[in-house]
Amino acid sequence: MSAGEEIEIAELLAKLDGGAPLLVLDVRNGDEYASWKIEARRQFAIAHIPYFDFIEDQESSLARVPNAESEIVAVCAKGGSSQMVAEILRRSGRPARSLAGGMVAYGEYLETVKVPLRPAEENLFQIDQLNRRGKGCLSYIVVSGGQAAVIDPSRAVAIYQSALGRADARLAHVLDTHVHADHLSGGPALAARLGADYFVAAGAGFDLQHRVRALNGGDELRVGNIVIRVLAAPGHTPGSVCYLVADRYLLSGDTLFKESVGRPDLGGHVEEWSRSLFQTLRGRIARLDDATVVLPAHYAASSEIGVDGVVSATLGELRRALPELRMTESAFTEAMKRALLAPPPQYAEIIDANLGHREVDPERAIEWELGKNQCAASGGPAAQSREARVR
Amino acid sequence: MKQLDVRGAKCPIPIVKAKKEIDQMQPGELLEVIATDPGSVPDFKGWAQTSKTAVLKEQRTEKQGATDLYIHVLERK
Repeated sequence: MSAGEEIEIAELLAKLDGGAPLLVLDVRNGDEYASWKIEARRQFAIAHIPYFDFIEDQESSLARVPNAESEIVAVCAKGGSSQMVAEILRRSGRPARSLAGGMVAYGEYLETVKVPLRPAEENLFQIDQLNRRGKGCLSYIVVSGGQAAVIDPSRAVAIYQSALGRADARLAHVLDTHVHADHLSGGPALAARLGADYFVAAGAGFDLQHRVRALNGGDELRVGNIVIRVLAAPGHTPGSVCYLVADRYLLSGDTLFKESVGRPDLGGHVEEWSRSLFQTLRGRIARLDDATVVLPAHYAASSEIGVDGVVSATLGELRRALPELRMTESAFTEAMKRALLAPPPQYAEIIDANLGHREVDPERAIEWELGKNQCAASGGPAAQSREARVR
Repeated sequence: MKQLDVRGAKCPIPIVKAKKEIDQMQPGELLEVIATDPGSVPDFKGWAQTSKTAVLKEQRTEKQGATDLYIHVLERK
């Protein structure tokens, strides 16, 4: 198969984001299609015809492909069946390519965007937001004076490594905001590979096997010319923290999102963790300035990506927009209880791996991480309106 | 029962080969497909729903050492 017959995920997303006329033809089975599909910053044409329909009856399946002048991109789980379908389409005279690596490639792809800073700050440091588009996971690289910190890295550590190389920065700290339940942390591997310190606070009751540098709320980490302050933020997990970069950029982890707050139900103590989350949001975070820029660890819908490509909001904007930040403690706890969702698939195994209790081979890692993150409490009033906006 | 060994093959190969095999069989004959791709489980189910020649009689998982085998039993319509 020649390269011209496949399209890389970066090119596909750039085309869809830019509104290029293109038909995405998803050829996975119905359940896979229903639970997780490609999203972009604009609406685009997407059709679903399973690849096995083309095997069973090529002619009638071809007749079901929507008529359009535009190029067709066939998408499957790993990029094998979509090659077959793209070839069938080309033989029938339709311009078609196959998404290289399929939904696995979509789920691993990281798009790097610069967080806009104030002019005076630009000379001192930079923050990159790495957007894992397929999962809605966000991680960060903070660089200042030849040093770097990486926050909430995903499994694809080589991408962070090459970004650090381009920035000519030495990795000083690898920080997780909490023990993730929806994706495997790249933290321990990245820290070990580049000889940096790794930090994650699990909280009481978790048996953390990784060698980590102890950090507590109130601690400060230096990165070149700036300081990252550690804010204890129990709630989503007992050990959750937020990192305040240069006193203005709040890497809020799964504590506070652009359209919701973190779900406090994954430990089976929803009442207790909800109260912790309430106290975190109304105590430590409430003391921060309205101009604080919130940079979360996740987002739920592509509509949350701003025109500058960054997922962020100021605390002032969130205070006005999110009812969860205005409720009484009892109303908040009730809203969190109503928001109970099924836990992410494989979350117990993923937590176990992130605590360092087990090694995970790459094949299994891919399987565990399929699908979007489900880290926000989404039964509350804000979330209901959000659900309505999502297709 | 006829057997089709597609261990190690990724989609679409297992269904491509199963379709080829089943189309040459006589009505009522059985075909046992042995696969290692876990994705073959929902995909054989999905294919059998619309297939004009194959009926899915049984699906089961067997261990072969550290490998999971996904076994699909099809009947020629």
